[in-house]
Amino acid sequence: MSCGNPHQTPCTEVLSLITVYVDGEIDEVHQIEVTAHLHECPPCGDQFAVELRVKERVREACRCEPVPERLRSRIVAEIHQVSISYRLD
Amino acid sequence: MTEPCATSLDFDEVAASGLGSDLMTTTETAEERAQRFERDAMPYIDQLYGAAMRMTRNPTDAEDLVQETYLKAFGAFTSFTEGTNLKAWLFRILTNTYINIYRKKQRQPYQSATDDLTDGQLHEAESHTARGLRSAETEALDRLADSDVVEALAAIPEDFRLAVYLVDVEGFAYKEAAEIMGTPVGTVMSRLHRGRKLLRASLTDYAIERGFVTAASTKAEQDAQT
Repeated sequence: MSCGNPHQTPCTEVLSLITVYVDGEIDEVHQIEVTAHLHECPPCGDQFAVELRVKERVREACRCEPVPERLRSRIVAEIHQVSISYRLD
Repeated sequence: MTEPCATSLDFDEVAASGLGSDLMTTTETAEERAQRFERDAMPYIDQLYGAAMRMTRNPTDAEDLVQETYLKAFGAFTSFTEGTNLKAWLFRILTNTYINIYRKKQRQPYQSATDDLTDGQLHEAESHTARGLRSAETEALDRLADSDVVEALAAIPEDFRLAVYLVDVEGFAYKEAAEIMGTPVGTVMSRLHRGRKLLRASLTDYAIERGFVTAASTKAEQDAQT
């Protein structure tokens, strides 16, 4: 499905750049091209919106892993233990 | 002043740290270094544990992996250049440790990600007819439980999963993710691109399964696009 209008940048090219665009890693020239295309082509605009939402959902979903407190204290204790053994060497 | 490589993990260097060329480390006692490490590196434990959980997919292995990462990092701390990216350095050690130890230990068939996708193939693979949700259905993504998203992420090949995790969750730039994974930037891009594609297809399945969208509606859309 295409919106039927001619585009300066073809849909295939825009879609292949969606990843770098969503991540803000696209170069300035392409960024301008892609932004213009997304405004004039609803199907590509849709693809972009979903890609962005997937990225956001992954970030939200992975933000809830509580570190067991015993792990933290065990590591800190080991580090100090190791540093004492260095001193004794 | 000659600075050892910031990513070096040579334990011999630790033993020789008393002879270190860095002014900071020569004037610093072992206990002071432990305190500096605790102050600077321990705050990243939440993030490292989160990544370890996504890598190992179980809490016991994740705890062991984080502990080993910290011990290795402390051992190599004299070779870390202060002022450079400590978080990326720790993530690199985490990734190396995981690859070297856990991947072997688990004896799982390595979920190899083929990175040799050419630009032409990438273009070819792109079209509006690609299976997935449309923006009208992003609502379905919002309604999916976090546990569904985590499961979907766990199911994609690990190289893809790690790239997605480092960039999307930890916010690393491509260049940093490439250094952490020890791959060229182009590989990171390819893994992200393909990882998200798989993720999106998988999330669509979850959304259908949960009744947030109907299989018929996604099918009808595909038909309309072909």
